[in-house]
Amino acid sequence: MSEENKKRESEQASNREAEREANEQDKQQEEPKEDSSAQTDGEVHVEPSGKATPNKDAAERALENQNPAAEAKAEKHEEADKAAKAEKPDNAEKPEKKASEQAADGDDEAAAKKKAAAEARAARAAERAKKKAEEEEKPKEPSPKQPVLDRLVDILKEHAGADAIEEAYVNEASRHLPTVIVKADFWTEVATILRDHAELKLHYLRNVTGVDRETHMEVIYQLINLETKQDYAVKVKTDRDQPAVPSATPVWSTANWPEREIYDLLGVDFPGHPDLRRIMMADDWEGYPLRKDYSPADPEV
Amino acid sequence: MIRTEEMLLNVGPQHPSTHGVFRVVVKLDGEQIIHADPVMGYLHRGTEKLAENLNYTQIIPYTDRMDYVSAMTNNYVLVHAVETLLELEIPERAEYLRLIVMELQRVASHLVWWGTYLLDIGAMSPFLYAFREREMIIDLFNELCGARLTYFYMRVGGVKWDAPEGWIDKVKAFVAHMKEKLGEYHNLVSGNEIFLARIKGVGRYDAQTAIDYGLSGANLRCTGVDWDLRKSQPYSLYDRFDFDVITRTEGDCLARYEIRLEEIRQSLRILDQALEQFPEEGEIMGKVPRVIRPPKGEAYVAIESPRGEIGCHLVSEGKAEPYRLKFRRPSFVNLQILPKLLVGESMTNLITILGGIDIVVGEVDA
Amino acid sequence: MKGIAKGLGVTLKTMTQKKVTYKYPDVPLEMPNRFRGVQHFEPDKCIVCNQCVRICPTECITLTGKPNPDPEKKGKVIDTYDINFEICILCDLCTEVCPTEAIVMTNNFELATYSRDDLFKNMEWLDDNNTNVRLENSTNPQAKKGAK
Repeated sequence: MSEENKKRESEQASNREAEREANEQDKQQEEPKEDSSAQTDGEVHVEPSGKATPNKDAAERALENQNPAAEAKAEKHEEADKAAKAEKPDNAEKPEKKASEQAADGDDEAAAKKKAAAEARAARAAERAKKKAEEEEKPKEPSPKQPVLDRLVDILKEHAGADAIEEAYVNEASRHLPTVIVKADFWTEVATILRDHAELKLHYLRNVTGVDRETHMEVIYQLINLETKQDYAVKVKTDRDQPAVPSATPVWSTANWPEREIYDLLGVDFPGHPDLRRIMMADDWEGYPLRKDYSPADPEV
Repeated sequence: MIRTEEMLLNVGPQHPSTHGVFRVVVKLDGEQIIHADPVMGYLHRGTEKLAENLNYTQIIPYTDRMDYVSAMTNNYVLVHAVETLLELEIPERAEYLRLIVMELQRVASHLVWWGTYLLDIGAMSPFLYAFREREMIIDLFNELCGARLTYFYMRVGGVKWDAPEGWIDKVKAFVAHMKEKLGEYHNLVSGNEIFLARIKGVGRYDAQTAIDYGLSGANLRCTGVDWDLRKSQPYSLYDRFDFDVITRTEGDCLARYEIRLEEIRQSLRILDQALEQFPEEGEIMGKVPRVIRPPKGEAYVAIESPRGEIGCHLVSEGKAEPYRLKFRRPSFVNLQILPKLLVGESMTNLITILGGIDIVVGEVDA
Repeated sequence: MKGIAKGLGVTLKTMTQKKVTYKYPDVPLEMPNRFRGVQHFEPDKCIVCNQCVRICPTECITLTGKPNPDPEKKGKVIDTYDINFEICILCDLCTEVCPTEAIVMTNNFELATYSRDDLFKNMEWLDDNNTNVRLENSTNPQAKKGAK
């Protein structure tokens, strides 16, 4: 690569750095607003500031993105507005007044629009509040899979001991997936029960995922019975500094490579695994890339 | 006196029949394999790590590059996971478009497999026949979404492009054409005695082994297990169509070959019905928030890709980027059985068995 | 032998059929309109909003702006605009977010060079790449939705 390119890239990198920081702040500030707009999505809101909001994000981004070299704030605002206009020509009619100007001349029209907008927002907020209240009034219906989960917990408690299960819940977001969190010490025993119990017969292991939760590590096993088509998820939590989960490979051969992958990328040890070594990264790789605090030994690679 | 000794042989990483950069270290006694150790990671790009710093729309083009022979199904599994967490409703027209491209993709993927598999075992010309038909599918995709391989067609909430004028009719014409050609393929290869001698009874395993190794797709169905996620856990609109899950009981390479060819016919059946039911008009994007932020939680979704069960485990912390994104790649899981199948086989069967599993190295390594 | 004879029949039948191969590169390939080829960039339309830089999944776009030379006008104009085609994946997201269609896709796809440095394309090059410009750039689901 030529000298010039290198220089350009380093400039680019430093720009990005600054941008990212700006973004972080941007996000934090914007969070609550975003949520409310997310519910009514596409719609055009008119905010007191006078900007058409669907472009608010774009405009603010444009604003944040100006070369970090100091610039007059007013100029930025103008640009943001310009960007907004450009993106939505049909909104040009809508109030595009600059906040500063508005405050200065106390334009009647702008004030009226501001009021209307505030009213509209209040109405929307009220509606939302009502909806929410209604939701709260209705007691949450138990998941249709609750009995399945209860039965699983009973079986496990009966055969593996009452302490085996840390927590059990139905993961409604994932198509009502019955989920149990099993203590690492009991995992080998529980796995065997899951596979061999006459009612469960979970012979098929679909997937193994490792997650770095920053406070601890999680290994999640997705299981399914091919005859009844009932699926379950089993989580095993482990300490982050010395992560170790008994290997499930002796129970399901499927777990072999996925566990190696988790060992490779997250550094979780699987005692009992027949062949635990790196699988994706080079054998002499340092660190575990999928960990949240990973930084490469050689950032140029 | 003849003296024999063990020989260590590297097949790959640059070898035409490993379909990419994939290596198998085999220990040979004469021509017989006594130990095999697959080595992978040469194409590992860290898709899962990259995804943690990208927003959901930006991740979709990366999924194109995992299983590059079947990018549409990869697109789908990611957007499906996000949509599951967001509880989004997808407009019917968009969902039909997705289904049509996924089934076309299945046909294209099986065609690539058919062509390259026969190339592996020494038949040169079927490859040209397969690519002739695959080219037609690629042209259809190119017209629809502007790329020949890395489509980046689906978006969270819908699809990027509506079908251009006359596209549906072109697909209909292709389906009719393909049905005819499928018979030609059978005439060309399926009865060939040399071909049958090469793959019949090779790489055999039973249903219990297949389940224990978590195989999916044709690798599982060749042992008689009736398991196809389109039927067993219907996603998208698959519950609206009439089609069969093809199974065989032999569990050898020939069974897998037959299943894949028959699956092309089933896909064409689905396409026939889908094109008939295709809504005249409608939205192609659902109501999607401007910034996609799935609520805190996690979901595992799985769909049937041409290679088996492709799954996506998505852990969200309510941010615009995923906290953790894990793909269950069917090629990766299916490949695990390879060392077991190779022991005791002759060196020539290595290629036959490896090809029969149908891997895409981009997906094995992710 | 019957199977081999049957296969030979297919071969003979195909021999008489029309050729399906392309004469590329002797005859250029015509791509459909939606094809995502190398971008065309029009500096006059750019408002330096930086959205393309932010959306790019591979971070291959770099740009800088400067104050508008015309003191009457506000805002900024584009100063430099570079795309690194070593890493650009032609995913179309930059043209999708561009509010003014300053950056659009063309149907040109040939990028082969003898040196990697040549893959670093600057604003002039991208401006000159103005043939076969894609027509359907505004079919962008996000913009459409917002413009309701």
